[in-house]
Amino acid sequence: MAGPKASTAASKPASSAVDPNAIHSLWKAYNDTTPSRLKLIDSFLVFLMLSGIAQFLYCILITNFPFNAFLAGFGSCVGQFVLTASLRTQVNPENRGEFKDVSPERAFADFALGSIVLHFFVFNFLG
Amino acid sequence: MFRIWRVLLLILSLAILSYARSSTGNSLLVVLDPSLSKDNYSIFFKGLEEQGYELTFRAPKDVTPAIIQDGIASFAHVILFTPETKTYAKDIVPQALVDLLSKNTNVIFALGSKQTPLTSLASEFSLILPPPGTPLISHFPERDTPATVVPIPVSFPSPALTSGLSPVWYSGIPFALGNNPLLVPFLNAPSESFAADTTEDSGADAIVDAAERGGEGLWAGKDMSVVTGFQTIDGGRALFVGGIELFSDEFAKKEVTKGVKSGNAQFARDVAAWTFQESLVLRVDGSTHHKVNETQPGDKYTTNDHVVYSTHISKYNPTTCTWEPFSGLTDMQLEFTMLDPHIRTSLPPVQGKPGEYSVTFRIPDRHGVFKFVVDYKRKGWTHLHSSTTVPVVPPRHDEYPRFLSAAWPYYVGAISTSAGFVIFSVLWLAGDDRGSRRRKGAKAE
Amino acid sequence: MLAYSLPSDISPSTFVNTASLVRIVALGLISAAAISSRLFAVVNFESIIHEFDPWFNYRATRVLASKGFYEFWNWFDPTAWYPLGRVVGGTIYPGLMATSGVIYNILHALNLPVDIRNICVLLAPGFSAFTAWATYMFTKEMKDESAGLLAAAFIGIVPGYISRSVAGSYDNEAIAIFLLMFTFYAWIKALKTGSALFGTIAALFYFYMVAAWGGYAFITNMIPLHAFVLLLMGRYTNRLYVAYCSWYAIGTLSSMQVPFVGFQPVRTSEHMAALGIFGLLQIVAFAQLIRSHVTSKQFQDLLFVSVISAAVLGMAAMVLLTYKGWIAPWTGRFYSLWDTGYAKKYIPIIASVSEHQPTAWPSFFMDLHMLTFLFPFGVLVLFRTLRDEHVFVIIYAVMGTYFAGVMVRLMLTLTPCVCVASAVGLSQLIDTFMDPREPDVGEEEEKEDGSSTTATPSKKAAKKEKNAAPVTGVGAIDDIVSTLSIAGGLEKDKSAKAKTGIFGLDTRMVVLFNTAAMLLFFVLHCTWVTSNAYSSPSVVLASSNPDGSQHIIDDFREAYYWLRMNTKEDAVVMSWWDYGYQIAGMADRVTLVDNNTWNNTHIATVGKAMSSPEEVAYPILRKHDVDYVLVIFGGLIGYSGDDINKFLWMVRIAQGVWPDEIQEPNYFTQQGEYRVDDQASKAMKDSLMYKMSYYRFAELFGGGQVVDRVRQQYLPKQGPTLDYLDEAFTSENWIVRIFQVKKEDLLGRDLKSANGFAQGKKRKRSKPPVKRRVLA
Repeated sequence: MAGPKASTAASKPASSAVDPNAIHSLWKAYNDTTPSRLKLIDSFLVFLMLSGIAQFLYCILITNFPFNAFLAGFGSCVGQFVLTASLRTQVNPENRGEFKDVSPERAFADFALGSIVLHFFVFNFLG
Repeated sequence: MFRIWRVLLLILSLAILSYARSSTGNSLLVVLDPSLSKDNYSIFFKGLEEQGYELTFRAPKDVTPAIIQDGIASFAHVILFTPETKTYAKDIVPQALVDLLSKNTNVIFALGSKQTPLTSLASEFSLILPPPGTPLISHFPERDTPATVVPIPVSFPSPALTSGLSPVWYSGIPFALGNNPLLVPFLNAPSESFAADTTEDSGADAIVDAAERGGEGLWAGKDMSVVTGFQTIDGGRALFVGGIELFSDEFAKKEVTKGVKSGNAQFARDVAAWTFQESLVLRVDGSTHHKVNETQPGDKYTTNDHVVYSTHISKYNPTTCTWEPFSGLTDMQLEFTMLDPHIRTSLPPVQGKPGEYSVTFRIPDRHGVFKFVVDYKRKGWTHLHSSTTVPVVPPRHDEYPRFLSAAWPYYVGAISTSAGFVIFSVLWLAGDDRGSRRRKGAKAE
Repeated sequence: MLAYSLPSDISPSTFVNTASLVRIVALGLISAAAISSRLFAVVNFESIIHEFDPWFNYRATRVLASKGFYEFWNWFDPTAWYPLGRVVGGTIYPGLMATSGVIYNILHALNLPVDIRNICVLLAPGFSAFTAWATYMFTKEMKDESAGLLAAAFIGIVPGYISRSVAGSYDNEAIAIFLLMFTFYAWIKALKTGSALFGTIAALFYFYMVAAWGGYAFITNMIPLHAFVLLLMGRYTNRLYVAYCSWYAIGTLSSMQVPFVGFQPVRTSEHMAALGIFGLLQIVAFAQLIRSHVTSKQFQDLLFVSVISAAVLGMAAMVLLTYKGWIAPWTGRFYSLWDTGYAKKYIPIIASVSEHQPTAWPSFFMDLHMLTFLFPFGVLVLFRTLRDEHVFVIIYAVMGTYFAGVMVRLMLTLTPCVCVASAVGLSQLIDTFMDPREPDVGEEEEKEDGSSTTATPSKKAAKKEKNAAPVTGVGAIDDIVSTLSIAGGLEKDKSAKAKTGIFGLDTRMVVLFNTAAMLLFFVLHCTWVTSNAYSSPSVVLASSNPDGSQHIIDDFREAYYWLRMNTKEDAVVMSWWDYGYQIAGMADRVTLVDNNTWNNTHIATVGKAMSSPEEVAYPILRKHDVDYVLVIFGGLIGYSGDDINKFLWMVRIAQGVWPDEIQEPNYFTQQGEYRVDDQASKAMKDSLMYKMSYYRFAELFGGGQVVDRVRQQYLPKQGPTLDYLDEAFTSENWIVRIFQVKKEDLLGRDLKSANGFAQGKKRKRSKPPVKRRVLA
């Protein structure tokens, strides 16, 4: 699960080595074009990603003994991440055309419901 | 004074004893061949009567009393003093005699040197008889009796026999024993004896003859038995005696050496006591099991539980006719079995509690249907078998360890995600109004 | 230009209301038809649990109902797989029992004291109504409501689904097909709208499905496959991302809550496809995001390369993990899906199950009837529009068809797809021919009045049909379909003139009449197959007397009842594993092996005991504390599903574990034939199974020719003898024979010689053991 994510994270420095301007322009473009609400989402995403990576490293390097706990913790990060990412695409004004049936309010309700279900299973699985 | 006491005690004990001495009953049928006189065995029979047995005599061809009536054994014990009898009444057939044993009736068989139904029956008990007409012969020690009348020292140590018995006079056939663990040999032939044709006795040729007749085997030596008990797996006991003379008054009174009476009377009484389940009779009164620190037996146990298994064993005491707690077994074992024993541990007697044997052990980490098995088999003693089935189950879903210290990063991770979700939702909803207004504004523009 | 006139004085709202009312009524009728056609089993026989597995489910449900859910969760069954026992809570899919338990508790809370058995018996018909509804919803997403109603009607009465859901067939499939269809519906809905809500619903129903049936792996692989195909077709959308990710994240985590599944979703290869697609979607989404912010062509190329390499790296990592043993490789059952000869070679226990055999072609026709050829047509129709959801059905059709060809059992997963595709095809056909517009070529010479008069009879005919077959609901659908298509014609393109179309009323009538006739035949076929082939409980057999009346053969229950009444409560009964659940359920006795074939060695042990000579089998029986041995013997009345016909599987399974002791070729004659008559091989004649089956069989014929009616062979007049077992019970028609295992001999002899002694045979004189040699 974290494999592809880790490798995409690795692809960034690789590209920056080739073209330092590109990463700069990417950052600039991101800052300019992204609404503040999406930035809120993105910061949450970064937090989840870091939390997930930390747990994955702990699992690999130290112990995976309560494997269900690891799966629950890691799964909650990944699940929350994708749900949040879904929310992000749904509320992104650029994608309006794709989501005709989903208004931003509806999107948040979906997101909240999905998250609550997810956390229910996470805590059931944790112990 | 002292004497009177003794006499009183004797009378008293006789009164009790006459009630019953065997653990299975006191009715006794003696099937006596008409060619034999009851008086010749009066010491033996009197001894039995004094012990409280009710003797009934019957000839082999008599129709009544039947040994099995309507599928129920009529007597608790049967003595077949019919070494030469070839024909019996209908009810006495080899199958019926085996059937008797299965009904917990004890039987004494006296064998002879002729081919009779009993000799063929003996082979069912893993006894291997010599060819007809070949009694035991020994030329040692030097004595005035015929070579077929042999004094046999009771060298075989069996707990059923009184210790320090004088040699026993014996006249009859020997037999080899098959490798059946249910056989309990009491008296073996002397080393220098052999089985041979007696009509033209003596000389070393007899041994060679015997060897040839026996084929590759040799009917000689101390591996031959002359008196052997047999305990069926249900606990019924049978006794095979190669010569009926062993029980006779003549042999009982005969001196072995000058001034030393033979051991016949006491030996006969001992083996009869064993056969009629007076001596070496044990039983399991009951067994319980429970978890450590509990008293009620569990209907199932969880893997890795510590359990206590205890069993209570009694021994029959023929002098008082009661069952008494018995702590004398030191080599008993308990097995905890599922297909194969998973645990085999000694089951020692508990100090201070007579008859109680107990052990504490940890149930293996394996679920399944287990059995507590006590299987105590020693030659001569009643076989003890006790088996208790109990399921061993894996821990319940809430019995596993929870909230391990190794997992705290995961707990933190999960909780922080949830907290993050809540904070994010609050922030989002808080920013919602502004956002939507701004969007509306944008649309308006 | 209209081929026939339409009423024009109906307001649109009236029309819409009427249409929805008719739809509801039709769905209600379809449900009624679906339920009632499944009640043949109850009508023809009685309200009884069928077959084998349902008996276990029933028993488990009773435990659940009487002891509560937590006890059920922790249920350790010491009477199964003696002496190993079975951790039931951790080795079953509890969804079915939980469903019945919930229904039971609700009914009792409402003071309706319904017997748990009746709930179990009627659960499958009840859920078939839900399945019809779910199929309607699903098909509605594919085309429109009319197709949905057709699909619902098809799935309601198609024999391929009825075969697993008649009343009393209380098996996991009873509810699983509903869950399967509803999960697919939610998935399609999520994909279409891009809503996380439907993704979550799909995940929840997926969870229910995981809890209910091992076939959930089908969903686990179908949805990723669909997503992957869409990716390859360049149809990636953010909706796909939302739908797939919300489904996968919640669905996977929830599926791991089921104890029997456990960590499999991250440990076994079967689930890796879903995980891989999940990772791939993350990468693609991330790449899309970056691309939307960056314009540099070079960077985009770089990104593309890195995405590809990441995907390759991910694949390599998975292969490595599999190699290292971290991820379990594909299981044997999976291989057997691709290589049909695999199971027979390596896992005979799987191959021995009749429903795992490849499907014979008549059974396609038997189970699907005319849908067999409507199905390809429907798939073709789907290709014409080929929206995202159509791709799904096409993939489903391809996979389903393949799997159904490999295993009879998987016909069940194909059936819903066939119904959906056929319904789409048929509804397309009817739409086309119902469309009143005519192509705009030349002058029309339609007689308006004539057409109106002929239209009325056609409608009347339809109505008549409805009256004639109200149970099936197909007639009703015809009616509705016609109404709807008229409406469609009215609403959509009244102005637009069609370039292609149908001329004349007669052509329309011919085609529509044929279609209606086909539908009628379909209904007749379904009813016939259901009542004759699929309603037998197999616990109770039926045969017909010479005068045509039905004769019930009730040997199984007779024998199980005998066991229940005449044996110790903890008596251990050994039988082949097919009858394990029934013995446990009906006789309530301890069994060695049962239909939950989790321990191959234990089954092989039973196989070895059955295929060995008595003296070899006896220690095995004693070791497992076996008191009774039960065999099924059909030779007397010609019941072909008996143990002698299954015997070779016992031999094969035993051979898999003890290749030195049991060899299959030994059980054939010199010519390689499987015979039971006097030419039978020695191993065959000595085997316990043979002896038990034919013990005293010859006596029945009183010296005449001894015929085995199943194998049509003549047996020797001198039947086999048994030394280690006693005949305890033989049922009326000899189908069930029960033998008691003898105790060890009193005198420590082997039972053969003990038996010889009891029968008065003379024993050979033995010699004393050689202790030393004679010096000659």
